[in-house]
Amino acid sequence: MTATLVAILSLTVFGVPVALALDRRARGPLLVGSAFLYGSGTMYFVLLGLSIAHIRWTLISVTIASLVIFCAAAFIARRQSAEPWREAVKPHLLDLLTIFTIFCYALYATLAKVWEWDFWAIWGLKARTFLEIGGIDWRFLESRWNTFAHPDYPLLVPLNYDFVALLGGGWNDRWLALLGVASAVALALVARALAARETTPFFAALLTMLVAALGFSRYVGLAEGPLIAFGGAGILFIRAALEWDDDACWRHGALMLGFAANCKNEGVALLVSVTIAVIASSWSSAPARLRKLTPAYVLAAPWLILRAAHTLPTDLAQGSAVSRLLARLPHAHQILAYLAEQLSSPWFWVVILTGILIAPAAARRRERFVFLVTAIQLLFYVAAYLATPNNVHWHVLSSWSRLTTHLAVPIAFAVFLMLANSLRRSQDAPHAEDARPVVPARSDE
Amino acid sequence: MVIGVESRMLLLPFIDRGPSEQAMATFTDRAWPDYPRFLEGVREHTQPGDTIAIIVPAMRWEAGYSYAFYRASYFLTGREVLPLLTPHDEPLPQNYRAAKYIAVFGVGLRIPPDAVWRTRRGALLRQRQR
Repeated sequence: MTATLVAILSLTVFGVPVALALDRRARGPLLVGSAFLYGSGTMYFVLLGLSIAHIRWTLISVTIASLVIFCAAAFIARRQSAEPWREAVKPHLLDLLTIFTIFCYALYATLAKVWEWDFWAIWGLKARTFLEIGGIDWRFLESRWNTFAHPDYPLLVPLNYDFVALLGGGWNDRWLALLGVASAVALALVARALAARETTPFFAALLTMLVAALGFSRYVGLAEGPLIAFGGAGILFIRAALEWDDDACWRHGALMLGFAANCKNEGVALLVSVTIAVIASSWSSAPARLRKLTPAYVLAAPWLILRAAHTLPTDLAQGSAVSRLLARLPHAHQILAYLAEQLSSPWFWVVILTGILIAPAAARRRERFVFLVTAIQLLFYVAAYLATPNNVHWHVLSSWSRLTTHLAVPIAFAVFLMLANSLRRSQDAPHAEDARPVVPARSDE
Repeated sequence: MVIGVESRMLLLPFIDRGPSEQAMATFTDRAWPDYPRFLEGVREHTQPGDTIAIIVPAMRWEAGYSYAFYRASYFLTGREVLPLLTPHDEPLPQNYRAAKYIAVFGVGLRIPPDAVWRTRRGALLRQRQR
């Protein structure tokens, strides 16, 4: 356990100057949450870079490379000056419940060494294989006998496991699930900081509790947890960036989405969904805003290039995906009905839809970016089921409940804030304005 | 809120987690509890770069061979684990011939006396050089 905890702490410390270099105003939960995520994402690139340069991963080589980045980021951060956000995050008693929820989830995740099939057949397998040679084992990924390990999947999660193994002096899968817990905590901290800018401490604390619960993936040891954290944080930052046209939020959002694209292929799809949603939600300023998403594509590119260069097969692209999609299109209604039938936590989605319907129209308009991202990403998932070379029912059963968790945090965040702020405004109407937190005007209003 | 939070998990600090820990620890290998220990033995008796094929009681992909092959891949990292079946249950005799070692688990074969390593549930055989 010590090695995993030291790794989480090291990644957080490593990420602090990166977070500050991007956003000198970051403080408190925002700084800690984003620091862990940046540390995790940057460590992936450190190991990827060393592997590409044919430098064997050792604690020394990784430490030296990390220190170079740490010092460069600290230098950049020191040169910047900015006032912290006026709306400091105020603790609330409800935060104790959130901490308790996270503690319970951590107990669940660490009941035993990681038990999920996909951990030891995909994510953990790759990490353990790479550790053997101190770098990415391209021969393993290219072998036709190892297609079951999905060689095309991005490597952020396995390489994070390798960092833990390097610190621990060898492979040990007993406590690796704590990295997933740390991702969920990081997302909750980011959500707490962003919510505090828009609502009261009570609602922000309540929303954080919900985000902590939704951000924790039941699929322990898989890339789901980090994808939910990076993708969720990315969407929430872009939402904030669109709301306030804040450059720091754009940088955070773009980089988080870039890291999400290095967690799973669904992260690449999420990046495309966000891009389309940014265009659709603001036609007039789309070119300028798209430029701000460039860092996300820059981060996503290396793995996409490497996997193309090594011709790593993607199961969805086997044979003719288009002809499969066209063949199944007439039966789309049956597949949609099956997806509805197999929906995990259906009441959660009923509540979300109800919340969208009963919220004031103006509030819905403000949240159109999050709704669009969710809808587009769901469309991608449905298209993947239509084009799958596998049996559709099997594919739905084995993945649909996981895929819907990817989108739960941002949509719940948006709907919760819509309703909470509507409720608050209706209650606050006769009272003084200065009782409310400062909410800057939306940039395009 | 109530729907979003997994209420069963909130009970974990207040219950005896022993049975859950035991269930989770044995979940993956519930069909063949000795298999991981056998694979660890195979790992100890082989070197990185060796090629190993696996023979288990379930020589059909969906009936357990996929589990045996994937699990062996996890425990025998650094070695090359070769399947003896395709996912469509077609035999792969070329992999049998190409393997330096054959790891036999839970099968009532007559184990030759010159086996590299043997245990109650299986053995590691070295193929003769051709």
